[in-house]
Amino acid sequence: MSERKYIEPQPSAETQPFWDGAKQGKLLVRSCRSCDKAHWYPRNHCPLCGSRDLEWIEASGKGEVYSYSYMRRADPPYVMAYVTLAEGPTMMTNLVECDADKIRIGDKVQVKFIETSGGVHLPMFTPQSAVP
Amino acid sequence: MSDLKPGASLAGTTAMVGVGHSDWIADYAAVRGGTKPHDSFGYAAIAFNRALADAGIDKSEINGLVSGPPTAHERMCEVLGIDPNWGTQADAMMGIQAAMMAIATGMCEVVALVYGNDQRSAAVNYGGSNAAGGNAFLSYIYHAPWGFTSQGALYAIMLRRFMHDTGFTERDLAEVAVAQRLHSSLNPHALMKKRVTVDDYMATHYVCEPLHLLDYCLINDGGVAFIMMSAERARRGKRKPAVIHGIGRHDLSREATSLEPRLTNFYRPAQKKVAEQAFNMAGAGPKDISCLQIYDSFSVHIPLALEGYGYCGYGEAAKFFRDTGISLARGLPVNTSGGHLSESYMQGWNHQVEAVRQIRGECGERQVKDCRFVHYSSDVAGKALSIIYGH
Repeated sequence: MSERKYIEPQPSAETQPFWDGAKQGKLLVRSCRSCDKAHWYPRNHCPLCGSRDLEWIEASGKGEVYSYSYMRRADPPYVMAYVTLAEGPTMMTNLVECDADKIRIGDKVQVKFIETSGGVHLPMFTPQSAVP
Repeated sequence: MSDLKPGASLAGTTAMVGVGHSDWIADYAAVRGGTKPHDSFGYAAIAFNRALADAGIDKSEINGLVSGPPTAHERMCEVLGIDPNWGTQADAMMGIQAAMMAIATGMCEVVALVYGNDQRSAAVNYGGSNAAGGNAFLSYIYHAPWGFTSQGALYAIMLRRFMHDTGFTERDLAEVAVAQRLHSSLNPHALMKKRVTVDDYMATHYVCEPLHLLDYCLINDGGVAFIMMSAERARRGKRKPAVIHGIGRHDLSREATSLEPRLTNFYRPAQKKVAEQAFNMAGAGPKDISCLQIYDSFSVHIPLALEGYGYCGYGEAAKFFRDTGISLARGLPVNTSGGHLSESYMQGWNHQVEAVRQIRGECGERQVKDCRFVHYSSDVAGKALSIIYGH
């Protein structure tokens, strides 16, 4: 089995603070002061109400598995998932440090950052029971 | 908005009068043998000539041209040798919708819609790390840093949730591949003709779990073309027309990156609106439909469309497969040509050819008896679209 090689993300002006936060172990979510709702991915223009009065909030890092797919044929295999954050939005991620055959929709998960060879920290999730 | 009936004035105004396509089987063999019979324009030009011949009209009558996504419009006009006075670049469904409006408003009278794609010989990459700027992290459905780099991944995740919510199983999904291979075995133009069983399906490997190999569409070179004109003019012509009685479109793009609600609600909000538009416009409903053609980049589109357009209730697709059936052998036939899974992957264009042939009664062994209405639906890339063809 090979070591996992990640495709390096390309931060934009809108998403740079997200990646800066990730480097510090913080899962930042864009939230709107006008409609009081968080959205995903981070934007400078609220997709829900149109306001530009936005703020970054630090998410709890807790969520639950919305759905997933085990990429059994990849080398190494990995688990893609959509995780619904406690703050509301659903985001694309991977489930790591877990038994792929035991994952179930609705499982509680906790964020865990994985550093790529390019030095970017990617938010992944792991079952909460696995977190000390 | 509640009083608005989108497109209602177009009901029954426009018809397909000719269809054509390239030699999918011969070209597939040639490409697998390492040669490249044509480029995208060449495939489109072959289909165009055949559609003209099928319609029984001369090229000089064409004054509108819709060019499919892979081929630049200006170059397509040059290759075909025509100077239309209306035209656009669009996929099959949006092209048909645009052509209906152009014909109805008098922008042009006879429209050719042409598509060519050398996707297999050119090794076009629909997935993988090079696809569609995936590392930008907010680009459409691709989230490459997390290894989410293909449409298959999207539909695998959608299917997993659908199975969780409704009790639908992998063996239920197998019925789609089984039915469409039965259909393609009766289609002389289909690439994959070998019939399969549920057990054959289950024995194929997972690609993106829980999707098996037979849930994926083919990738092949080819071209497709249609000729459209007013229904009134078409009825005076040499060939039996397939009249467009209903059409509908509704988009779900506001939360494209988080895939809400297209993933979280399986396209249902859009399908509900499109069903109202298209069925009301046609004055027909699910019970009047003789066969369905569903855009099947992945087999999972079939249960989702059957539920979304009201052929059965939400969560009842598996029951519909069992109690009614989706094949020419039994029930409401879906993708009577074999579709993208088994006939040819022409991105929704070959489904129109099959719809027209079914309405005309030209389908031989796979002909649906007393075919009155054919419903085509496409639920991909954030857009739900439907056409109702009839006599």
